Amino acid sequence: MYGFLGPNGAGKTTTLRLLLGLLQLQGGEVRLFNKSLAKSRIELLRKTGSLIESPSFYSNLTAAENLLVFQKVYGCPKARIQESLELVGLGKTGNKPAGNFSLGMKQRLSIATALLHQPSLLILDEPTNGLDPNGIIEIRELLRRLNREQGMTILISSHLLAEIERLVTHIGIINKGSLLFQGTLEQLQRKQSQGSVTSWHTNEPGRAMGIFRSYAILPTLVDDQVLIPTAERELIATLNEQLVLNKIEVYQISPVKNDLESIFIDLVKST
Amino acid sequence: MNFLYSLQSEWLKTKRSTASWLCLIGGAFIPLIFLAGFIKDQRSINAYTSPDIWKKYFFQIWQFMSLAILPIGVVLASTLITQVEYKNNTWKQLHATPQRFSVIFMAKLGIILLMTLKFFLYFNIGILLSAVIPSLLFDHRFPRQAIPVAFFLAENGKLFITCLPVIALQYLVSLQSRNFLVPIGVGIMGLVGSLILIQTWQYAYLSPYSYTPLQIVGGKAIREKINIPLLSVSYFAGITLLCYYLYMNKKEKG
Repeated sequence: MYGFLGPNGAGKTTTLRLLLGLLQLQGGEVRLFNKSLAKSRIELLRKTGSLIESPSFYSNLTAAENLLVFQKVYGCPKARIQESLELVGLGKTGNKPAGNFSLGMKQRLSIATALLHQPSLLILDEPTNGLDPNGIIEIRELLRRLNREQGMTILISSHLLAEIERLVTHIGIINKGSLLFQGTLEQLQRKQSQGSVTSWHTNEPGRAMGIFRSYAILPTLVDDQVLIPTAERELIATLNEQLVLNKIEVYQISPVKNDLESIFIDLVKST
Repeated sequence: MNFLYSLQSEWLKTKRSTASWLCLIGGAFIPLIFLAGFIKDQRSINAYTSPDIWKKYFFQIWQFMSLAILPIGVVLASTLITQVEYKNNTWKQLHATPQRFSVIFMAKLGIILLMTLKFFLYFNIGILLSAVIPSLLFDHRFPRQAIPVAFFLAENGKLFITCLPVIALQYLVSLQSRNFLVPIGVGIMGLVGSLILIQTWQYAYLSPYSYTPLQIVGGKAIREKINIPLLSVSYFAGITLLCYYLYMNKKEKG
């Protein structure tokens, strides 16, 4: 499961549209399943399900009729209509036109459409938009199940890392059209531990920096606070002792928040 | 085969749609007015003294139809069927299905043509019912002349052909514009402008919107001067080709 992250306007939807052939390429080539989209569009789309941005459905038709529209063109068995609806919890919507559905139900219907032909690759652009917390958990569970039980590859975009960090195995971070990071979740987590720092608030930051340097530590001064890479707690105790022995008043020693969300924000800010 | 599935899928989208209701209401409107007139005056089609009662009735009822209801109906149906994808935000879903763009284009156009045929079918059923019901209701003698089926079919065929340029033009504008009012505005202006020009300008037939009214009210002179079916088909072919080119080369497909 691949999480595609970026702030609003970063280019996530544009990238996904390019992947589906909905936008003309200005250069380069899109390849899915190791085949060129331009040359094998129909074959590749047969293996791909998608939900791009807001839900799309025919408001005058019922949930089952909406899926029937797509069942005809995908040529999948009719039984898949009810199966897909059951899967997203819309199995009992009867004759209610989809236009009268709540936003959450509309989103589920769009996910059912994407799942109808049992694709190998599922592309979902912010699929939990408009869902209540319970709905978000259900969809997350459904995606996990599809990935685990059916081996479906899922590409899911979001502007919130917290929303997908417990779901995905790989992450891509995009901003202003450039890919800033791509790798496994572990690689991102490693980046987190490498990047974590401790902040020292003292009355004489200049002298404090000199003492840190004598321990082969490279300090930086930010807003009158000295930042050093996070070290073993014994070393922190020694450094603190040295500062006090040198008559420097230490007001506060604190780790700088550096969770995945901060890394994401830092990456995005740096562009 | 793919085209047939695509056509079925497109047809399904018209279920309970505004276009579908318009087709029924538009087709039944004029026959219902005639029926109401017969019932009010306790008359039936037998009151006509012409030797060709059916033909006379047919042209009389078609006169009203061809001037306003049919052209407006065709404009609305073509626009509504095409705009269903913009309205429901479904172009992206449709274009991400494993179908050739040319199949999608032809299937949509096919549905507009089928919907127009459905409109004709409702109208003709309406014509017959508006003639038959008063005769049965007032126990009048039914016209001795047989219903001229071949004549009905031929005239319907000619009128259907005159709708083709309007269908193609509305399809083109509707595919290009996200705003529903643009194709409707173009269609209504085209129709009203053509109806005015027919009265005042000898070259009014250059407008693709003019052929349906010209076919019925244009008179023999104009029909001898220009070949309405040929012009209609030519316009249809030309506009459809342009429409196809623009659609296939659209940079953003949803």
